[in-house]
Amino acid sequence: MDRIEAEKKLNEIFKIDHFYDTQWSVIEKILKGEKVLLIEKTGFGKSLCFQFPALLFEGTTIVFTPLIALMRDQVNKLDSLGIIAKCINSNQDNETNSRIIQEAIKNQIKILYIAPERMENIEWLNAARQMNISMIVVDEAHCISTWGHDFRPAYKRIVNLVNLLHANFPVLATTATATKSVEEDIKQQIGKGIYSYRGNLIRDNFRLFVIKVNSEDEKLIWLGQNLNKIDGTGLVYTGTRTNTEIYAKWFDYIGIKSTFYNADLEPATREEIEKGLLANRWKCIVSTNALGMGVDKPDIRFIVHTQTPISPIHYYQEIGRAGRDGKNTFIILFFNPNDDLSLPKAFIEGSKPSISKYQKVISALKNERLGEQKLMKATNLKQNEVRTIKADLIEQNIINEVNENKSKIYEIKFNAPEVNFQPFNELKEHKTKDFEKMIEYINLESCRMDFLCNYLGDASSNKCNKCDNDTNHIVTMNYDDSWKQKIDEFHGNYFPVLEVSSHNGKLIDGVAASFYGVSNVGKMIHHSKYENGGDFPDNLLKLALRAFKKKFKDLKFDLIIYVPPTVSGNLVRNFAQKLSEILKIPISHNLHKSRETKPQKIFQNAVLKKENVQNVFSYSKTNEIMNKNILLIDDIFDSGYTVKEIGKYLIALDVALIAPLVIAKTVGGDL
Amino acid sequence: MNEELLYWFALTQLKNWGIFKKNQLIVKIITEQKITLSQFFNLKSDNYIENFNLDKSDIIDLDRVKKELPNLSFLLEDLLAQGYELITINSSKYSKTLKENLKLKYSPPLLFIKGNSQLLQEDSIAIVGSRDADEISLKFTDKIAEIASKEFKVIISGFAKGVDKQALDSAIKYNGHSIIVLPQGIMTFNSGFNKYYKEIQRGDVLVLSTFHPKAPWSVQLAMSRNPIIYGLAKGIYVAQSSDKGGTWSGVIDGINKGRKIFVRLPYTNEKNANNILIQKGAIPVDQGGNLIENKFNQLEFNDVPIINDDNKKEISTFDLSVNAQIEPKASIDDRIRDLLSYSELTSKEIIKTLNLDWKIQKMTSHLNKIPNIIKLTGKPSKFYLKGDKRINNLFGE
Repeated sequence: MDRIEAEKKLNEIFKIDHFYDTQWSVIEKILKGEKVLLIEKTGFGKSLCFQFPALLFEGTTIVFTPLIALMRDQVNKLDSLGIIAKCINSNQDNETNSRIIQEAIKNQIKILYIAPERMENIEWLNAARQMNISMIVVDEAHCISTWGHDFRPAYKRIVNLVNLLHANFPVLATTATATKSVEEDIKQQIGKGIYSYRGNLIRDNFRLFVIKVNSEDEKLIWLGQNLNKIDGTGLVYTGTRTNTEIYAKWFDYIGIKSTFYNADLEPATREEIEKGLLANRWKCIVSTNALGMGVDKPDIRFIVHTQTPISPIHYYQEIGRAGRDGKNTFIILFFNPNDDLSLPKAFIEGSKPSISKYQKVISALKNERLGEQKLMKATNLKQNEVRTIKADLIEQNIINEVNENKSKIYEIKFNAPEVNFQPFNELKEHKTKDFEKMIEYINLESCRMDFLCNYLGDASSNKCNKCDNDTNHIVTMNYDDSWKQKIDEFHGNYFPVLEVSSHNGKLIDGVAASFYGVSNVGKMIHHSKYENGGDFPDNLLKLALRAFKKKFKDLKFDLIIYVPPTVSGNLVRNFAQKLSEILKIPISHNLHKSRETKPQKIFQNAVLKKENVQNVFSYSKTNEIMNKNILLIDDIFDSGYTVKEIGKYLIALDVALIAPLVIAKTVGGDL
Repeated sequence: MNEELLYWFALTQLKNWGIFKKNQLIVKIITEQKITLSQFFNLKSDNYIENFNLDKSDIIDLDRVKKELPNLSFLLEDLLAQGYELITINSSKYSKTLKENLKLKYSPPLLFIKGNSQLLQEDSIAIVGSRDADEISLKFTDKIAEIASKEFKVIISGFAKGVDKQALDSAIKYNGHSIIVLPQGIMTFNSGFNKYYKEIQRGDVLVLSTFHPKAPWSVQLAMSRNPIIYGLAKGIYVAQSSDKGGTWSGVIDGINKGRKIFVRLPYTNEKNANNILIQKGAIPVDQGGNLIENKFNQLEFNDVPIINDDNKKEISTFDLSVNAQIEPKASIDDRIRDLLSYSELTSKEIIKTLNLDWKIQKMTSHLNKIPNIIKLTGKPSKFYLKGDKRINNLFGE
């Protein structure tokens, strides 16, 4: 097919009259069964480079992409053009996924989007053996490279697959963000004479700003003052899930329409928020960097980072989704030198678990083949630690990941080598250097866009004439006492939610007086608990009462029950006693533990935490709680397993309602 | 090598192609045309006809398998990710014993394994026998396994009940090495991989299959696995055989092929066919595996089983039926050609191997009449089949 013919077809199907030269070059190669790496900025039209040839092929084109939002978007778009495209992902139920797999086997699907992690799914692998596959597309191909900013182990299997495919099988790898070294790494891994195309990366509609602040509150204040002044809608990225909630509550408090989005939310809620984003339902969505990637919204007018990303490439990637329509777009990065270095540094430091943890996993596997859950149980390691270690041990040919029935188990290979820790140190050094580059970006006095493009290997760029440095428009903080007052009021009235509600509605979401790590609440609790500091101080009691009033003032309680202590001490009992006296709700001392438990904090993962409190509670006078509304008191809420376990137990004893109230909720890793 | 694996895998998936046909094609590709399998797969069909003597239906088969390449890639990726290894017949890791015993005709082009592949290179024995072997046979099996383990010989086990399983258990008990030859695809053996996890990790056990990795156990596969067991073993010990079934036909086949097979000399009261195998040319050994020079000398006369008339009859019928299958005049030439396709033999050796009741002179003059049989100079003269000689070079490493 020549270009004229192809563009005729393009017009018929996609209603676009011509290809860019690069697009056509890529498509020509793909049609000849060649392998191509395409590095182009967001909005270039990379998708067309596989969507078009996919229609000319006899069978199905498989698109590996980690972005569920992108899958949905593209499927909808193709659907509107009358092209049969489907996606398989973890947000859909198993039935839907299975049905789509069956359709794919029957060659009823032209383009099938799947997450890279599917390569570890047995049902998928079985299906792939029966499908008529015409082309493979690897989206976000920088995830292939361990040197990339977002290496994902599942991509390793895609690389293995691509290497096994026969020579004249078309493969397209695409990314918007690859440094030269990542490009080389991808080319080397995919191999077999892969062609690569690299476009220029300058986004000339971006107005890049860095705003230096002296406290976390100043970030809130600046946004409060200015967000509504920026045209259109956009995204505010925070470093932690907790902060998504805090920022959204703050915006709510000062009347900026917003919502928050993070991985803790239910898939349906997340999908609803993505729809709302497209419909401009809010001024902004406060999110971890999980949102926005792959969302096909051309007019995201601003992206604010409240936390420094760990490298310029992360930053470029995350801001890349804004302003695809080419119109003026604000890109703002806050930097608080007092506080913003610790999180990225901890992230880099913690990117690999300690040597002894690797050894723990290996010695557990020497005895028997274990699945992930059992491995967590045997090692008392956090789930993400176990996952990192597993991936590294697979990479180093020390263990195999084996299918057993429908799950995965791990085994040590015969003749397995020792773990080589050298690459981990190198990776840490690499990441540290990247982060230093990010700090360089923050302190830059020259063009910011030029710096980013250069960093990404695009030497062609020039001054953007739009960033704060080029326009000499340096933003500084400027606010009066009324804003300080507002912030204090906000903190005093903000109480974290404990998400524990059960399906039958009898256990409802609880409330905490504060976050553990924020302000000095954590310190006070620690002093009483672990430094013989006596009862919890009265200001904690006051805070708890305010939280109670804010959250539960419309409910009527019959009884206060408190969580019995783990080792000794009457701290929680005394605290509950005082609450009972003030709130005039009778207190019960009849909830007990039938065996001794260990402090939950010594357990690093959910499997062991759950097991520690499973079936441990008993109630001595069950009649007194039947059909009663119960306020359940504890000091610290961490994983929530204790509260959920008590909830489950009491519901079985026919209570009417349980509402948890605690002093502090932890923020990942507080304890 | 990895990129070649897909094509090896694809080649073994050719429907209705026997091992010999596949191996002949491999020889043509690698030894004659000196190209890689991937190059071969990318040739046009006229090239297949011209240079590889393939006919139209062969090319249809090839095209079918080519269409499946992406699918096979997925399966292969999965196999490798799960730590299974593929060993091709031209690899130095392939068992030389297997190649020597089964020759081009029966050596599987691809082995699927997990574990210590070095075990394929070690001296080896198989201990074979019934699934429902009695105590005395199991004791013999245990003893032979003990001796073999002490001599660092690998025990080849078919993982069937009875003698096979005992051989494996004993090898493990005596810290020996063993190879489990599966009657199924290697990806369907999870319980076994759990059970022998530590032994595999230590390198004491290797699991091997020659079938499609996902093939479930079947009687048919169990039968076609037997030659692999015999093939992998340098020495074969028979603990207990009845006069039919896998053990029996395997041993008879082995005797016909001129292999040394040691059979446990049974006691009088035993009801099995061990003695018949001895009469047919197997070598008797005692309970401890020691050779019995003259099978009627070492034990008391009373111990020697006397075959009664009924049995004799049955056996002779069986003999006849075996002979009837393999000895019709029309097929003798084929059998000779087969034999000489992978080895050079004298007339006497041919007669012996094919179990014929011929004079040497008759064989020699007969050989001269068969086309393509070449006589080598030397005394006594050896013969081989022209054209196929080169095939052997592939296996000579």
